Amino acid sequence: MTNIRKLTALTRAGIIEALQFRLGTIVTLLGNLIYLALVYYLWKAIYASSGMDVVNGMTFYDTMIYLVLATAMFNLLEVFVIWDMSRSIQSGEIIMHLLKPMRYRLYTFWSYSGSHVISFFLTFLPTFVLVFIITKGAIPLGMNLVYFVLSLILALMINYNVEMLVAPICLYTESTWGVNIVKETIVLLLSGATIPLSFFPEGIRKVVEYLPFRAIYDIPLSILLGKAGKSSIGSVGGCLCIQIFWIVLLSIFGNLFWNRAVKKITVNGG
Amino acid sequence: MYNCSLAYNILINIKTSKCFCGKCDSVTRRIIMTDKAIVMKNVSKEFKVLNRHEGLKGSLRDLFSRDYKSIMAVNNVSLTVDKGEIVGYLGPNGAGKSTTIKMMTGVLEPSSGEILVNGLVPYRERTKNSESIGVVFGQRSQLWWALPLIESFKLLRDIYLIPQKDYDDMLDLYRSLVDIEPIINKPVRQMSLGQRTLSDILAAFLHNPGIVFLDEPTIGLDVSMKSRIRDLIKGLNEVKGTTVILTTHDMGDVDALCRRIVIIDDGQKIYDNDIDHLKTYFGSYRTLKMRLSDDTWIEKEIDESRTDVMQEILSAQKEKGVRDIRLEEISTEEVIRKIYEGEKSA
Amino acid sequence: MKRGFGFYASIYRKILIQDLKSKMSYRADFIISTFGMIMTNLSGFLTFMILFHNFPSINGWDYDHMLFLYGFSLIALTPVQCFFDNNWNLRFMVRSGDFIKYCFRPINVFFYFISEVFDVKGIGQFIFGLSTFVYAWCRIGIPVTFVTIAEAVLFLITASLFMIAIMNASAATCFWIINSGYVMVIMFRFKDFAKYPASIFNAVFKFIFTFVIPIAFVAYYPSLIFVTPDNVPLLTWLSPLIGAAFFYLSYKFWMLGVRRYDFTGS
Repeated sequence: MTNIRKLTALTRAGIIEALQFRLGTIVTLLGNLIYLALVYYLWKAIYASSGMDVVNGMTFYDTMIYLVLATAMFNLLEVFVIWDMSRSIQSGEIIMHLLKPMRYRLYTFWSYSGSHVISFFLTFLPTFVLVFIITKGAIPLGMNLVYFVLSLILALMINYNVEMLVAPICLYTESTWGVNIVKETIVLLLSGATIPLSFFPEGIRKVVEYLPFRAIYDIPLSILLGKAGKSSIGSVGGCLCIQIFWIVLLSIFGNLFWNRAVKKITVNGG
Repeated sequence: MYNCSLAYNILINIKTSKCFCGKCDSVTRRIIMTDKAIVMKNVSKEFKVLNRHEGLKGSLRDLFSRDYKSIMAVNNVSLTVDKGEIVGYLGPNGAGKSTTIKMMTGVLEPSSGEILVNGLVPYRERTKNSESIGVVFGQRSQLWWALPLIESFKLLRDIYLIPQKDYDDMLDLYRSLVDIEPIINKPVRQMSLGQRTLSDILAAFLHNPGIVFLDEPTIGLDVSMKSRIRDLIKGLNEVKGTTVILTTHDMGDVDALCRRIVIIDDGQKIYDNDIDHLKTYFGSYRTLKMRLSDDTWIEKEIDESRTDVMQEILSAQKEKGVRDIRLEEISTEEVIRKIYEGEKSA
Repeated sequence: MKRGFGFYASIYRKILIQDLKSKMSYRADFIISTFGMIMTNLSGFLTFMILFHNFPSINGWDYDHMLFLYGFSLIALTPVQCFFDNNWNLRFMVRSGDFIKYCFRPINVFFYFISEVFDVKGIGQFIFGLSTFVYAWCRIGIPVTFVTIAEAVLFLITASLFMIAIMNASAATCFWIINSGYVMVIMFRFKDFAKYPASIFNAVFKFIFTFVIPIAFVAYYPSLIFVTPDNVPLLTWLSPLIGAAFFYLSYKFWMLGVRRYDFTGS
C-alpha cells in the first residue's frame, strides 16, 4: 500500500503549481462567464421559439444549469494524460516514471488531484453559485448536493480511467492528436456534455444508457437536478453503483492494457 | 532615431573622421564592417522576474500580488571581436552567456549600452542582421524536423536568397570537410544527436554568414563526433574567414579552437585575453607529483612565481626520499575552475 | 522589397509540398487524425440534428436556414484549421525555449512559425461544410449567379479571417501568461456558437460577440446577405474591412508578444 502522505504531498504540489497559473485562472473564470452567457441566450431563444415551458422533462432553467455545469465540469475534469504520456514516450522520459517507487497510473492520478481541488474552488464553485443566482434557485438544495459531490468525485475517476485506457494507444501510434480528439468527441457527445441526454431520440438514448460515458456528466448532473428517479435514496444509490461499476471495469481493462504496453516499452527500450 | 555615438568612436579610430549622428548611411556601416565583427559597449540586460513565495500561503498571495525583483543578467559588458576570430565565450551556468548571445543575434534588446554586429544594431534590424549571422543553439535543432536535410538546405537557400553557384560551392566545401552522404537524405527527426548537431552547424554556415554563434555545440556528443565537429568548425573558419563566437563548458573545444577567450560571471566580464595568457592568470601554476620512498604519491600545486620547484623536490627528498617525480602543466579546465571559484569567494 | 509577397508565397508552397510528402510516411497518424476530424464533424452535426429533433426553429430561423448557417461556419472555420494550426504548439515552444529558433532567420517570424504546419485534416471539414452549404443553398433556393457566387467566396474568406484573428490572439497570450492553453481551449469552444444567429443575444452580448470576440462574423453577419437579401445590415457590408482589421491587430499582438518575450526559457 502506498503511503498516503506521499500522495497528499503530490496533491499539495499540484495545488501550488495550479495557483501559480494566476492569470490563467482568472481567464478561465472569465471565459466561463462568457460561455455561460452564450448558453443562456441560445437556450432562451430556443425555448422561446418552441413556445413550451417543458421539453422532454427539462425546463429552460434545468437545461441551462445542466449545460453550464457540464462546461464547468469539463474544466474540472480535464486532464492531459494522453498528451503527457505521448510526450514522455517520445522523449524517453517514461522510463524515469517507471523507475519511480510509485505506480505510474497512481502517480499521474495524484499529480492531477491538486489541480482538480483548485479548479473546484476557483472555477466550479463560483460558476455554480452564479448559475444558482441566475436561475433564481432552480437548483434544489438538500441531500442532493452531497450526493452530487460524491458522484462528481466518481465521475472524475471514470474520466481519468477512460483517459488511462486510451493513453497507451500512443505507444502504438504517434497520432496523439487523433487519439485525443476521437476520445474527446465520443466522451463529450455520448456523456451528454454538449446536449442533455434526455433530448436524444429514444433509440440512441437506449444505446447510450449502456455506455460508461453518461456516468461522467449525465449521472452527476441528473442527481443534482433531482432527476435521477426523483432523487429517492434508492435510485441515487443505484446511479452511484453504476458509476462504481464503471470505475472497476475500466480500471481493470486499463491496467491490463497498460501492463501490455509497458512490456512493449521495456522490450523496445523506449 | 538611430544613435550613432558608437559608430562615431570607431570611425575616429580608423581615421575616417565624420559625424554620422541622426542617420547612418550604408557607407559608414561598410567601413565599420571591414574593421570589427562585433562591438559591444557597456551593455547591460536587466530582467524582471516575479517574486514567488514559498508554500501554499505564498502561492495564494502570489495570486493577487505583484512583487517583482530585477536581475542583472548582463552587467556593463564591453567587448570587441575582430573579423575571422574564434572567441571562446565562457562562464558558469547562469552567468549571462546566452543572454549576451541573444542580444548579439537581435532576439533581445539590451537594457542599456550599445551593440553593433557587422555594423548593424541587431535588435533594430533583426531581419537584416540575421542574413549575416548563423546560430546554433545546443541541442535545439533549427531545421525542419520532418524534412530530409537536403530539403532543409534547399529551403534555407531560398530563404537566404543564396545564389545557386554559391550554394553549390558551399556544398562542395562541406563534402571536402566532412562526410555528409550518410545524413544528407535523412530526416532530422531520425538523426542521432551528433548527426543533428552536425547538420545544424552546416545549416548555420550555409549562407556564408560573417559571424556564427555556437552555443554549446558539442554538448552530449561522443569523443569522435566532438573532434569531427571541431575540425569542421576550424576548417570553415579558415576557408571562409567566418568569425565564430563559441559558448561551451568543454575545455577541449576551447583548446582545439580558440586563441582568445572571454569569461563572464554574474553578468560581468572577468577575463578577456588569449588562451596562453590564461595559464598565468593566477601566476604560473604547475602540478608537482612525487612518489615517496614509502611508495605513496603526493601532489602539490606549485605557483612558480612564488615557489621554486627544485626547492620543493629537495625538501621532500630530505624528509622522506623521492623515488619518482612528475611535473604537469595545469589544464585549461583547472584554470577556468580557479577563475570561477576565485570570483565567487572574492 | 527583396522579400515580397512572391517570395513568401513560393517559400510557403515549397514547405507545404515537403510537409505533405513527409506526412504521407506516417500513414497511421494520418488515418486516425482524419477519422478524428470526421468524428468531430459528425458529432457536431448530430448535436445539430438532436436540437432540431426537439425544436422546430430558433428565433425565426428554420431548419434550412440554420443548416445554411452551419455549413457557412464550417467552411469559414477551415482556414484556421488548415493553415494556422501551429498556434496550438506555440505555448509549448515558448515554455521550453525552443521558440527562439524562429527568430534567427531573415524572414517574418509569424510567417516562419505558421508555415511550419499545414493541417491536412481540415480538408475533411471543408468537404463536410461545403456539402452542407450547397445542400442548404439549394433548399433555400438562392439563385446561382456570378454575383451570388462571388459574394459567397468573398464573404467566406472574410469570415475565416475572424476566427484566425481570435486564435492568433489567444495563442499569443502565452507570451504573457503561463497556462494560456485554457484561453485557447475556451476561445476554440466559442466557435461552436458561430453557427447560431447572433440576433438571440441582448445588446451587451451582441456587442461583445461582434467587436470583442467577433464570432458573430464567422457566419451570422456574412450569411445575412443570402438569408435576408432585402435587408442586409451595414455591418455585413463592412465585414471584409473589419475582418482585415481584426486579422492585422491579432498579428500585431502576436508580434508584440515575440518582442516582449524575454526568452529566459532556456
